[in-house]
Amino acid sequence: MNFHLLDWIILFLYLGITVFIGLWARRYVENMEGYFVAGRRVKVALGSATLIATEIGVVTFMYFGELGYVTGFSCFVLGIIGALGYFVIGKTGFVVSGLRRLNIITIPEFYELRYGKRVRLLGGILLFLGGVLNMGVFLRMDGIFLTETIGLGPEVLAIVMTVMLVVVISYTVFGGMFSVVITDFIQFVVLSFGMLVATGFILMHVDLAAIASAVASEFGEAGVDPVANPRFGWAFLLWMMIGSIAISVLNQPAVSKSFASESPEVGRKVFLFTGFTLAGRYMIPMFWGIAALAMFGPALKPATAMPRLLGTVVPSGFLGLMIAGMLAASMSTYSAYLLAWSSVATRDIIAPMSRKELSDKTTIRLSRIISACIGVFILVFGLFYELPATAFQFIAITGAMYAAGAFGCVAFGLYWKKANRIGAYCSLGFGAFSPLAFLILDQVRSSLPEGMLWLVDVNISGFLSFVLASAGMVLGSLLTQKSHPPKRLESGAGEGSAR
Amino acid sequence: MSTISIIWIILFALAALLFFCTAVVITAIGTRDLKDLLKKPGSKNTQDS
Repeated sequence: MNFHLLDWIILFLYLGITVFIGLWARRYVENMEGYFVAGRRVKVALGSATLIATEIGVVTFMYFGELGYVTGFSCFVLGIIGALGYFVIGKTGFVVSGLRRLNIITIPEFYELRYGKRVRLLGGILLFLGGVLNMGVFLRMDGIFLTETIGLGPEVLAIVMTVMLVVVISYTVFGGMFSVVITDFIQFVVLSFGMLVATGFILMHVDLAAIASAVASEFGEAGVDPVANPRFGWAFLLWMMIGSIAISVLNQPAVSKSFASESPEVGRKVFLFTGFTLAGRYMIPMFWGIAALAMFGPALKPATAMPRLLGTVVPSGFLGLMIAGMLAASMSTYSAYLLAWSSVATRDIIAPMSRKELSDKTTIRLSRIISACIGVFILVFGLFYELPATAFQFIAITGAMYAAGAFGCVAFGLYWKKANRIGAYCSLGFGAFSPLAFLILDQVRSSLPEGMLWLVDVNISGFLSFVLASAGMVLGSLLTQKSHPPKRLESGAGEGSAR
Repeated sequence: MSTISIIWIILFALAALLFFCTAVVITAIGTRDLKDLLKKPGSKNTQDS
């Protein structure tokens, strides 16, 4: 076992402090806006820390490490594309400022303001399903990470992961966004330090020349050229260019941090600050994965290579700190996701179907119950589901299931006067079609005729979802302008503004 | 080591440097922001839970 007594002490001390602070933060929750968006009082640096902590988890380290191990330097292009996307959003306020100005809490609220209640319900269901599926893979990757770094058997780790989930649920359901923001900040600091320590130890054990040589001998041109790499290619790069912006501005767990900011301007700056770190937080775990290739060769199971490297090169004491940092990252991701998806389920699915208006107290209580249910789901899903592609591609395709249609509805809804209800239905439906087709058809891949195999190409499916969603919005709206005249938006019209 | 590999390694180094420098700045300013967030009118919640 790589873990020693000192590592366990550091780990449990850290987890204990996190839970205590998370539960202590419940005193700040006074109403629904306090619970879901921390009273909209979060400033730039704190908002950036919490957004970064949300977007980094063990799962992101795992899938980026896996990508590095199987694609070499080629995958670094994702860091550059993602950073450019964030800079565009941060400089222009594209979508995020417009949404923050409306004082909404969830993205489907925008659908109601712009298109009507039924679109909100459909959008809420798709957002919830895609989001929870997206989260389903997290626990499995966390399990593999801990197995390899700590050196425990997988049967013990299922219990460890369950405990971790229970810990996160307990403080998220009580303290809401206040707990999330405070614990995210601590987790961001611990994690950044852990990443620095881990990178330092890796560089002490694996030199850069050996890394470059391993990439050249294993992948050749495909290791340095993302277009030539068979896992990527143009369809993937185009998908990522659109998807990086769409998922960034419409990923409910991330964008709710912008909604929690004290003004639209602060919301925009949060994305700008976060953009400065994006290339680094993508490339650092990718680099660890490439270093694992240099150290162990290509024979390992890709998902296990990077954590095995960390378990090998990081000494006791530092390993405990690093694992605490990684678990911190996961906990902040889980807490933000649980809060975001439970808020969507409560406010955008249950509330619109309810005959009487839900009180703040009922909304928060329902949200807590749903958080617990999501926790159980991801535990079961994570243990039994077999991924159809790399973890990164699975997360990207389930993300596209809701992000593509949402991007069509929100971007066109904010910036195109002719966007109407029928266009929104088409955008949501068409956007979800190709990712859903991929997930279903992949289960029967071997029996598909050759002419239909492009449907189970994850890159084509992901790119197509955005094209179809935009086309659906434009065609659907233009063809029904007279029968369904577009609704107008009013600034500050969201439900949150009334509270 | 090929030229393109060197370029990727330099890009990685720059990205990592930017990440850690930004993390230091965010930590410093974020601590102040966190204090501001926790300074609030009223005290313990009585409405829920």
